Amino acid sequence: MFRLHDVSYAYGGNRAGVAALSHISLDVAQGEFRWLLGPSGAGKSSLLSILSLEVQASAGMVEILGVPVMQARRSNLARLRRRIGTVWQDFRLLPDLSVFDNVALPLRLQHRAEDEIAHEVHAIMKWVGLENRLDARPLQLSGGEQQRVAIARAVIYRPALLLADEPTNALDERQAGRLMAMFHRLAELGTTIVVATHNDAIVEKYPAPAIELAHGHLVRDYR
Amino acid sequence: MVRRRYHDGLALHQALPGQFLPFLVAAMSFLAALALAGGIAAHGLSQRWTHGAGAVTTVQVPGPDDPAAGSGTRIAAVQDIVAHAPGVATAHRLSDAELRALLAPWIEQTGDASLPLPAVIEVHTVPGQDPMPPLLPRLEAVAPGVLVEHDSVWSDRLAALAASLQACALLAVLIVMTVAVCVAMAATRAGLQTRRQAIALIHSLGAMDSYIAGRFASRVGLLALVGGLGGSIAALPMLLAMSHLAAPFSAMTDAQAVAPMDWHSPRAWADIVPHALLWMLLALPPAAGITGWITTQLTVRAWLRRLP
Repeated sequence: MFRLHDVSYAYGGNRAGVAALSHISLDVAQGEFRWLLGPSGAGKSSLLSILSLEVQASAGMVEILGVPVMQARRSNLARLRRRIGTVWQDFRLLPDLSVFDNVALPLRLQHRAEDEIAHEVHAIMKWVGLENRLDARPLQLSGGEQQRVAIARAVIYRPALLLADEPTNALDERQAGRLMAMFHRLAELGTTIVVATHNDAIVEKYPAPAIELAHGHLVRDYR
Repeated sequence: MVRRRYHDGLALHQALPGQFLPFLVAAMSFLAALALAGGIAAHGLSQRWTHGAGAVTTVQVPGPDDPAAGSGTRIAAVQDIVAHAPGVATAHRLSDAELRALLAPWIEQTGDASLPLPAVIEVHTVPGQDPMPPLLPRLEAVAPGVLVEHDSVWSDRLAALAASLQACALLAVLIVMTVAVCVAMAATRAGLQTRRQAIALIHSLGAMDSYIAGRFASRVGLLALVGGLGGSIAALPMLLAMSHLAAPFSAMTDAQAVAPMDWHSPRAWADIVPHALLWMLLALPPAAGITGWITTQLTVRAWLRRLP
């Protein structure tokens, strides 16, 4: 599903930049659920940024869903992004769009029919429990509600690879439990899922194979 | 199921407001229209001076009805040589009435209407050719004393002046186009900067460069089209007035030059404006729109290159 070989990444360029990841090699198969663990500054977000094609690795080989990222054309990268769902730590909701339009955005970029989009959005928003807030603006929502909207936007197009950076941060225990249940259900259906967290309690409650980073190095890759 | 209005988060009506760009493009179009009008007017005058009344060669044949050196009259022999010479478009012998009308001021001064007059042949040459000098020996042979007059020195100088004016007009249009392209680029960059977070987000969700560039280009192209239309409409009254003032100078005949104008007839107004100018005014708005569209496409695509 994705393979990294000897991948390094530095902020601000390879030579003068600050090293965020050093010589990471990973191989994660389809349908796997992996925790991505490590303290703040370990490189979790950098690794997710490389996997979500937000940044390019400074060195090494990155292959996602069979596409060699470093050699791929821009149009192929755009198509690849449509198969990757990301829940960012800062949610990245567009403040001037309604909740409905934020969640519908990925489907609209895929030129889906409006009727189909409306059906999908209503279904996913019902699942995250925000079906009554479709016309609200993101800034009218609480942090937890914004996080649920961001999760809904990331999973609405059933991505083959789902990446989530601290997705349970703003959720209460019940919502976090529902989210983990959905993640496991998606993994059973073939979606590869990587969830970055430093919440030990939730990792202990939902045990799964983990990738552990420290100071930009891969400390453990255990299954 | 409720059908909702399409939104992709780019909010281009905020990123590219509908007042600033059309106004600037309208100003550019107005200037371009004036420059093009100058170029077209210079071209028209050049045509008149090189092909019209200014390019006429006159051949005076004294004693036209006297026998020629070979056979027939002198005027018939001269007409035969001139009419069949390569490079001669038309050769018209002025009638007695035309000749007397032409010489009326001098004849009235002398008061002698029975003065013997030479025959005069008005020769129009093919543009760019001057066939008369080589003919002179042959004309002298059949009609000694024949006189050939041509104002080519002046018409050539005026044509050169017209060509310079056309070049200046073209340069002015190029400068205006360059400024218009810079304005479209600056507006697009400002819009990209305003909406950079939304662009980065939809880029990360899989939007193609062509989609984002197309959305911006459609907006800028439309605003430039509106601006171009405004500039053309604003330039029209001034160009009509200038065309009216220039009409006597660009008329191909003296009769056209002094003919009174029917102010109430739209047809008369349309007639005084060169057709090339009307086409140019019609072409300006789409040209502005296409220029804006292409500039924006290139600007946005170049900007998107900074994203992975």
